[in-house]
Amino acid sequence: MGYAIFGNRVNVKTSPLVGNKAPEFTLKTFDGEDLKLSDLKGKTVLLNFWASWCMPCRQEAGALEKSWQKYKDKDVVFIGVNVWDENSSALSYLGKFGGGYSHAMDPNEEIQVDYGVGGVPETYFIDSSGKVRDKFTGPLTEQIIDYFVLKAQQPEENES
Amino acid sequence: MINFSIKNTLILYTFLLITILIASQSQLLANENKSIDDQVKEISYLLMCPVCQGQSVGESNSNLAHDMRDIVRKQLEEGKSKEEILAYFVNSYGESILASPPPKGINWLLWLLPGVAIIFGGLGITLFLYKSQGNKSEEKQSKAKTKPEVNNDYIKRIEEELEKDNS
Repeated sequence: MGYAIFGNRVNVKTSPLVGNKAPEFTLKTFDGEDLKLSDLKGKTVLLNFWASWCMPCRQEAGALEKSWQKYKDKDVVFIGVNVWDENSSALSYLGKFGGGYSHAMDPNEEIQVDYGVGGVPETYFIDSSGKVRDKFTGPLTEQIIDYFVLKAQQPEENES
Repeated sequence: MINFSIKNTLILYTFLLITILIASQSQLLANENKSIDDQVKEISYLLMCPVCQGQSVGESNSNLAHDMRDIVRKQLEEGKSKEEILAYFVNSYGESILASPPPKGINWLLWLLPGVAIIFGGLGITLFLYKSQGNKSEEKQSKAKTKPEVNNDYIKRIEEELEKDNS
């Protein structure tokens, strides 16, 4: 199953955060909303780190938007976190590739380090209890998103 | 010629031990008096930059390394210790973020082997020198014992020839 989705890529990196409580964060979205992770308890969270200059981020943007449309009414929250970027470049990127879900700039460039981000795009899947269930490095596809979102929605002990 | 003895070796080792103790003590004192800048630098060199090839956070100019140095500074200003700051980065990135492996589990071997190699190497060299000294003195003794046989006939002839000349 894993090979069918990911091919021979080894992008599913182990992170010390997997299986542990996701670091708390508060973000001010580009739309001016306050977004706090602990307020999203009970929902599955897809936390995607991106930058406007990142080509693989553009590559995955369509899949993120389509998946968000599919999951937005199923207690799944998509959050885009912009890192290592200029505000104007980020806004210009969002105009073209942003999609309908919330995006925010990492205010002090600290959230990325809290999560151990080592490049973009990187995506964390957080379950309804607030635990990091998986980390994926590289551009997402709809299939990959489905795989991890569904996995995060299952109880942890049933993981294979 | 170096005259090696067990006594000399012990003196040498004691001297080395005292030097190491003094150096570590002065290092501790120096650490206590370090400025925030120096501490940021020190901790940054203990962390590997996750987006660079073989560069520490202290060496790298990448955005991430810059952010990490800022976080180190902020945490120092909050009063966190070096160990707490390193633990924070290990919690986020794993132990691969550390420039040198932590001394635990199998990693202990990496920390102990150089010391063990130095001690055993030193002992081996000492033993070798001590033995070669011993062999040399044994050779001297055996040389002294086995004096070359004097050719009496030859000496007799020389003496006869000398007497002839004198007469």
